[in-house]
Amino acid sequence: MSDQAAVAKPVAIIDDVRTIVAKSLNIPVEQLTPQTRLDELGAESLDVIEIVFGLEEKFDITVPLKAEDATRLAAADKAGGQEMPFSTVGDVAEMVEKLVAAKTTKAAQ
Amino acid sequence: MNRVVVTGIGVVSPIGSTREKFWSGLVEARSGIGPIMGIPTDRLNIRIAAEVRDFDPAQHFDSKRVGLLDRFSQFAVVAARAAVQDAQLDITEEIALGAATIVGNGAGGMNTLDDSYFKLYAQNATRAHPLSIPRLMANAACSLISMDLGLKGPTFTIASACASGTHAIGQAFQMVRTGMAQVALAGGTEACITVGTIKGWEALRVMSADTCRPFSRTRSGLVLGEGAAIFVLEPRERAVARGAPIYGELKGFGMSADANDITAIDPGGAARAIRAALMDAKVNPEDVDYVNAHGTGTSLNDKGETIALRKAFGDSAENLAVSSSKGVLGHSLGAAGALEFAATALAVHHQIIPPTANFEEPDPDCDLDYVPNTARNAPIEIAMSSSFAFGGLNAVLVLGRA
Repeated sequence: MSDQAAVAKPVAIIDDVRTIVAKSLNIPVEQLTPQTRLDELGAESLDVIEIVFGLEEKFDITVPLKAEDATRLAAADKAGGQEMPFSTVGDVAEMVEKLVAAKTTKAAQ
Repeated sequence: MNRVVVTGIGVVSPIGSTREKFWSGLVEARSGIGPIMGIPTDRLNIRIAAEVRDFDPAQHFDSKRVGLLDRFSQFAVVAARAAVQDAQLDITEEIALGAATIVGNGAGGMNTLDDSYFKLYAQNATRAHPLSIPRLMANAACSLISMDLGLKGPTFTIASACASGTHAIGQAFQMVRTGMAQVALAGGTEACITVGTIKGWEALRVMSADTCRPFSRTRSGLVLGEGAAIFVLEPRERAVARGAPIYGELKGFGMSADANDITAIDPGGAARAIRAALMDAKVNPEDVDYVNAHGTGTSLNDKGETIALRKAFGDSAENLAVSSSKGVLGHSLGAAGALEFAATALAVHHQIIPPTANFEEPDPDCDLDYVPNTARNAPIEIAMSSSFAFGGLNAVLVLGRA
C-alpha cells in the first residue's frame, strides 16, 4: 500500500503539471514530457508566473519565485550562468512534489 | 511657439506634503517607506509601502464635500491648490476659460472600489453608496481640480500606468507651447494602497519585502507608494511679466511605445523616448547634466534602464548624474512621474542633485553614476525626468534652468 502511494503520487503531480503548463501556453498536453524545456516552448516571463500561480492554486503551495527568475527561465532572456529553480517540466514536477511533501510534514507536526 | 515655464509646484507625498518638506526629504534621502498603517495587513505577504501619513482630509475639505472625494482626488486637489498658491496665480475669468487641467493616474478611486466590493462580496451588502461611481471614475481627480479652482478649459485624464504623470505634464506643455491653453494645471495622482491592489502586485513577483534600493546590486524589487504632484505651467513671457517664481523651463517632451512586452522594460523603446525628448528640446546628449531615472528597484528595470541610457547618450553617459527618487518615495505609479518631475524641477532650481537612497553596492549591470545616498551640489543647466511604464509606454521630459 505504501509502495503504491509512493509511486502513484508523483505520476499524478506530473500529469497536473503537464495540464497546467499546456493550458498556460496553449499547446497540446501530449507534447509535454518530463524532459521538455519551458524556454523551448516559447514561454515568456508572464507565462512562467502564470504557470507558477496555477501550481500554487492547484496544490495549495507557495513557490518562492521572483519575476527576474521567470524572465531568465523564459525564452526571451538567455543571460544564463545563474542557477535556475527549474527548467524542464520534470523539474517543475519535482519542485512541486517537494513543496507538497514539506506542507504535509508541516501539517503532521 | 511659447517658451513654457514651471511657476508652481504642489505636492502630497510620503515624505511630507509641502514643497519644503518634500525637497528636504529627497536631499536627506529620508525614506518614506515603512510598515503599512492604513489598511489591514493580515492577508498580505508584502507589508511595507510609502504611505502618505500626515494627510488629514478634514483639514482640506468640509464635511459635506469630503464624501465626494476618493483619496486619489483628495491628494490631487490639495496639490493643485498648493501649486496655484505657489505660483501666485490669480485665476481671473479670462485665465479660467483658457486653463487646461491634465492629470495622470494609472488607476482611479481604488480605495472606493475596494471598500465597495468588500461590502458587496464579503459583507453581503445589498446596495453600494450612491457616490461610488463619481468617486472612483478615473477622471474624478481632474474634474474635481477643475471644479475646485474654477478652471474651464481643456480638461482630461491620461492613463499610461507608471508614465501617466509624465504624459500629462508633456501634453500640457505642448498645449501651452502652441497657445492651445493659456495656462495649465498638470501632474499626476495615485492612491491605490489597498488590499486588492497589493495582492495583485504581489502576484507579479516584483515587490520587495524590505525596502527599495534602486540600481544597487542588492535591490530586491519595488515598493508601492502614493501621493500627487501638480504644476502650474505657463508661457515664460507672462510669468516674467507678472513676476512669478520660475523653477525651470520645460524644453522638450518625448514619447514612444515598445510594442513588445506588457511588463518588461525594452531598452530600445526607452532610448527612443529619451532621444525624442532631446530632439524636441534641441539639446545634445552631452548638454544633459542630470537624469531623474525611473529606477524602480527591480532587477530588470534598473538593468534595462541603464542600457537605455547608454544607448541614448552614448559616450556622454559617463558624465551623467543619474538618481532615482523611488528609494525615498516608493513607486506611486501614475503619480510617480509627476513627483519625480517635482524632484527634477527642484534639483534644477536649487542646483542640487537629490541622491539615490538605500544604495548599498554597485552592480556590474548598472554602471553609471547614481549619486548614491548623498546629495551633490552641481551645476544643472539641463535635466531630464523619465518614466517607462507597464504596457511599454515611455515618456520623457527635459527641463532647463530658468
